[in-house]
Amino acid sequence: MILRSHLLSMIIYAFFVSVVLALIRRPSKKARLKYGLFLFLTMVVGALVFGWFMYLFAR
Amino acid sequence: MKATFYFIAGWLIPGLGHLLQKKFWRGAAFFVSIGAMTAIGLMMGGKIYPLYLEKPHNPLQVIVNLFKKENPLTLLAFLADTGNLLLYAFARLFAFGEGVLERVTFEFGTAYIAGAGLLNYLVALDAFDIARGKKT
Repeated sequence: MILRSHLLSMIIYAFFVSVVLALIRRPSKKARLKYGLFLFLTMVVGALVFGWFMYLFAR
Repeated sequence: MKATFYFIAGWLIPGLGHLLQKKFWRGAAFFVSIGAMTAIGLMMGGKIYPLYLEKPHNPLQVIVNLFKKENPLTLLAFLADTGNLLLYAFARLFAFGEGVLERVTFEFGTAYIAGAGLLNYLVALDAFDIARGKKT
């Protein structure tokens, strides 16, 4: 069984989604790198922040 | 017409629409990324959702049956999974991707497969746009 860690699963998922979306939505190499990094960080940091936010309501 | 061909090629196999238009690196990147997502999803025990349909008694019954399932949201999962058309067809033909519900990775695996399918719709549309000259 692989990727039992949900954090690692989420990071790998975010990486692949960022690669594909950056290649589709930006024309140049530099813009792709910048946009891909932005998407990746938004997804990973956003999920972590939202996860801690939900922790406030944990029973 | 040609654009539609590239769209269908990309829909069948991720990145094929780009490869046929000589966008080798982009096509390879799409194939590797979407292929890896799908492979990881299957290894995690994710499910490729089929379209469950009861035999309709009249044409309207077809639409009614779509929402008569235990969980109507599986219809959305089915639409996402058909984004990888060839994989979906193989999954139905050779009976894999049934999902291993008892695994802790089941939900994430299913999300990986559905995400890969949805991304492939975008990739196929990108190939269509390139063929129409709207993108480079």
